[in-house]
Amino acid sequence: MNQMTSRFAPSAAACAVPAIAFDKIRLDLGGKCVVDDLSFSVAPGEFACVVGPSGCGKTTLLRLVTGLLSPTRGTVHRLGAFVGGPSPDVAIVFQDYGRALLPWRTAAGNVALALEAMGTPRLERAARAAALLDKVGLAGHGDKYPAQMSGGMQQRVQIARCLAQEPRILLMDEPFGALDALTRQALQDEIAMLVRDSGATALFVTHDLDEAIYLGDRVFALQANPGRLAQVIDVALPRPRDQLGTREQPEFLRLRHVLFDHVQNTH
Amino acid sequence: MNNWLLRAGSILLTSVVLLLWQLVTATGLVRPIFMPTPAATFVDLWRGLTQGDLLALTMSTMQRMIFGWLLASLGGVLLGALIGLSSRARYWLSPTLELLRPLPASTLLPVGIALFGLHPQMLLGIIAFGAIWPVLLPTIHGFSSIEPRLREVAKTLRIGPLAFALKFGLPNALPDIIAGMRLSLTACLIITVVGEMITAQQGLGSTIIMAARSFRSTDLYAGIVLLGVVGAANNALLGLLEIGLTPWRTART
Repeated sequence: MNQMTSRFAPSAAACAVPAIAFDKIRLDLGGKCVVDDLSFSVAPGEFACVVGPSGCGKTTLLRLVTGLLSPTRGTVHRLGAFVGGPSPDVAIVFQDYGRALLPWRTAAGNVALALEAMGTPRLERAARAAALLDKVGLAGHGDKYPAQMSGGMQQRVQIARCLAQEPRILLMDEPFGALDALTRQALQDEIAMLVRDSGATALFVTHDLDEAIYLGDRVFALQANPGRLAQVIDVALPRPRDQLGTREQPEFLRLRHVLFDHVQNTH
Repeated sequence: MNNWLLRAGSILLTSVVLLLWQLVTATGLVRPIFMPTPAATFVDLWRGLTQGDLLALTMSTMQRMIFGWLLASLGGVLLGALIGLSSRARYWLSPTLELLRPLPASTLLPVGIALFGLHPQMLLGIIAFGAIWPVLLPTIHGFSSIEPRLREVAKTLRIGPLAFALKFGLPNALPDIIAGMRLSLTACLIITVVGEMITAQQGLGSTIIMAARSFRSTDLYAGIVLLGVVGAANNALLGLLEIGLTPWRTART
């Protein structure tokens, strides 16, 4: 991992180029305008969260970054390059881990899928997959099938698969939305650490305002119909964050008020 | 315990059927020329297997059935994968397939004989044609019903079409394919026997029809019993194969 951090350590020149840049994006789907006039950028290594009511195009935004969708107007840039399609640099964690994992592959096999796609030599795959599973707290569970694992474990497998890509951009689409509260908190702390260690840029979509503040360096609040940027808040809370201490800080509560007011007003 | 009771019950039922057969024939209710006693049948079967050419005939039928089945399975999986993965191929080919599918393979035998003559390969081709459908249709379904989220995963990992077919399509279709192959083997046995009867190729089919025509009822029943055993053995072996090939479906915590 150290090797990766140094490889992607933002040099002075790289800092000038945003990891993700949206420039006046408009997207029409089925004759309906889903996203309009959306401009924002995320700096390399930044942890950016996106909140907003349903139908504001949060998930669409991630698809635009992956290149699975192309904007009707405007341009999306990734690491300074125009987005033409999916790239191994960009990994995405889906909310529905149950559907995003191959049921016929074990945990290790699912992680190995990404390694195979990355062209990792056959002999190294097993060890790399085991190391990645270890990293997400699944040591010793490598030969379990998804059906034999809890939701939290399955989501950890998906995270390990994404880390196998050694992504420079990690996209997450409400990854903890379907998990119970305790598992969610544990995974929040783990993902914050994993992202920091890898030096990747994170774009994290959630409907949970507290989660957005807890994880993010910045929070983008979107509004719906059509989706567009309503507000950006900077989260100046010290890291590493702590489930109890951070959530009790006055600044956390202030930001929570700001976001809540915003959500109330845009509804 | 419950399982054991069920098994005992099923064996009991088989014995009752055999007993009824014995009762009906031994009391002279049915004349032996139409239905021999079970004992006479098994004696004849044993003699045929050990002294006669019944074993060679069974082997020849089974070989034909298995080759036809392998052809049908291979063709069904390859063609099904192509059609299942490409919506365009589905669009172009489904009307033709819908026309060909309901055709009973036995009706194609005269066509095959007229076109290619009485070749063993012709019969093999007809067996494969008739037995391809139980494999082809589930394979198409298995390859075309891949979870959309998994398609997205494949796209973000930039997995190529061949790797997608092998790593996503094939395992997704495998349970359907194996179920189809089981049905296909049964179809193969039927078409093989009917085909041997019609084309007089050496095998159990032709032996049975010759026995029936010359009123050798013990030979006839011996052949039928043998076919029943072959069919049951097929199914049992494929059941084991299914468990071995799709471990994720039986693995539970």
